[in-house]
Amino acid sequence: MKTQRSADIMVGWFVTLLGVFVIIASTTIKGGAPHRLPPQTFPMVVGFLLLICGIGLTLKAWRMQGVDLALKWPDRQGFWTILVCLASLGCFIALMNPLGLPLAAFVYIAFSIWYLKRSKWLTAIVIGLITAVVSYYLFIRLLALSFPEGELFGG
Amino acid sequence: MDFSWGYLMQGFATALSLQNIFWALLGCFIGTLVGVLPGIGPVSGIAILLPLTTVLPPTSAIIMMAAIYYGAMYGGSTTAIVVNIPGEASSVPTAMDGYEMAKQGRAGPALAISAIASFVAGTISVIALTFFAPLLANFAVVFGPPEYFALMFFGLSLVISLSGRALLKGVISMAIGLGAALIGQDPLTGSARLTFGSAKLLGGVDFISVIVGLFAISEVMINVEQRITVISEVEIGRWMPTWADIRQCLGTMLRCTGVGFLLGLLPGCAPSVTSFVAYDLEKRVSKHPEQFGKGAIQGVCAPEGSNNATSTAGFVPLFSFGLPTAPSMAVLLGGLMMYGLQPGPMLFKTNPDFVWAVIASMYIGNVMLLVLNLPLVGMWAKIVKIPFYILGPLIVFCTVVGTYSLRFQAYDVWVMLIFGVVGYFMRKLGFPVAPLVLASVLAQMLETAMGQSLLISQGSPLIFFTRPISAVFMGLAILSVGWGIWVQVRSKALVVAAGDDEY
Repeated sequence: MKTQRSADIMVGWFVTLLGVFVIIASTTIKGGAPHRLPPQTFPMVVGFLLLICGIGLTLKAWRMQGVDLALKWPDRQGFWTILVCLASLGCFIALMNPLGLPLAAFVYIAFSIWYLKRSKWLTAIVIGLITAVVSYYLFIRLLALSFPEGELFGG
Repeated sequence: MDFSWGYLMQGFATALSLQNIFWALLGCFIGTLVGVLPGIGPVSGIAILLPLTTVLPPTSAIIMMAAIYYGAMYGGSTTAIVVNIPGEASSVPTAMDGYEMAKQGRAGPALAISAIASFVAGTISVIALTFFAPLLANFAVVFGPPEYFALMFFGLSLVISLSGRALLKGVISMAIGLGAALIGQDPLTGSARLTFGSAKLLGGVDFISVIVGLFAISEVMINVEQRITVISEVEIGRWMPTWADIRQCLGTMLRCTGVGFLLGLLPGCAPSVTSFVAYDLEKRVSKHPEQFGKGAIQGVCAPEGSNNATSTAGFVPLFSFGLPTAPSMAVLLGGLMMYGLQPGPMLFKTNPDFVWAVIASMYIGNVMLLVLNLPLVGMWAKIVKIPFYILGPLIVFCTVVGTYSLRFQAYDVWVMLIFGVVGYFMRKLGFPVAPLVLASVLAQMLETAMGQSLLISQGSPLIFFTRPISAVFMGLAILSVGWGIWVQVRSKALVVAAGDDEY
């Protein structure tokens, strides 16, 4: 998907297939009552809309004439940075329940700041600690929200 | 509800006591702080902070709750402007132009105009509430399911305007939003839809998770990819808008107040809907519509004014009929009942002191928001100068906290992450995000209204065209779609004629 045209063709195909998928999934929806709008109506409409628009986008891109703009994708380093950031966010979410919000927040913030700026490891630790403490006392203690506390904080 | 100068003056006397002023100020401040957190909007903010008000007498507690509500509405716009994270759905249009202004070093004027527009719209709306509540409440009663469907359909037609030149992609974006909103249980029959047997998906996809993912997470991904050091490298100029900026926005403030207040009288018409309608209206009447989405100050003024007006309008049916017409009003109703007060026509006879004190406090609350937040504009605007290696992770942390607090399930945070990736690719591939947001907000209301309407008409779709109000909105929607398509086709024809076939 290096250019707009090729990207639109691929996305058009994807949207078309998504539309087909939604239409098929809609046929499996059960339930409803007499004289009421069947529950599969709107999903079916959405499916057909996706199907038609997907085909439309594919055809439009296929027939495109003129300058084909190049898409700006990240370079290798940018790609890995994004991946690592997403993976660390995923780990934060996954670890929030077992470790608790404060500890998971500390780990996430400290790692992310350090990863984005390797020289600032002390800043990373300090801000991570502050975030952990604030999240514990503000969200869990003061506002009494049902965030997981984790074993360390007695949750 | 009968208006009385005596009661209003008495209400001001109560609301202007030192104690109540303090509680209102505290409520505004806390509400703003809570509203700043992505995912925690006014409804969650009031619900979370409600226990804090139990130590107060009833009048003071309700004054504080109303102030929290206003504060949270304003707080959502702060992050929308400064870091492109709408605090709630109604701040999405604000983010579209507000963030662009922030990148241009004009975060201060954007924040300031947001506060000023909120103040003007809120004050005018409270005046309308004070004098015209019974008449306005009757207007809301006229709306039935066909009118609601037509209104929501008109709202969806705004996709044309929000899509810019990428109409087909805008419609695809809208369809994805509709599809995401349909996951879960059918609101009318309870049937499971697009859940594939998953218990988690049965709870549906919360649109706040979608919005926060599409805006906040994708924005962070793009900033990380580009290895930016700060959000805005442009020197921050003025903190306040110029007189020219304010003059430009005078008409906008009046229009968005009208739109927000009148639509806000309708049960179920949330600020998220009216903010888009007001934004679209301003874009259509503007002499420079091409500037919208690129830092037009009216693009910030319109949604912020309208959502404040809508919030105030929600009090009309609450006080007149005892009907909460929005989730936020339902929470406030709960707060009122907690103190043994039952909103409705009798409330004015049994507790006039209380009611008029609350109404008076709304005037004061609006002034307080302005007084409190204008001096803080400089502080909020400086956020764009925080190094991104610190700001980015903190933004993500806030989004996780905000979305987790929706239902206290990690599932909602995973949804946010997924839509963050979706939003990133949408932005890379030229798909407008706003139609997806609008569709996800409107989908369930649209379907419910359609189902109820067809039940009334025994399956005949003509009901949408035979009832006057509904016919007007359907006509406007069809005209809007037709006009938008014609403009697209015409502009492409002009481009082709000029020999530059822009895709």
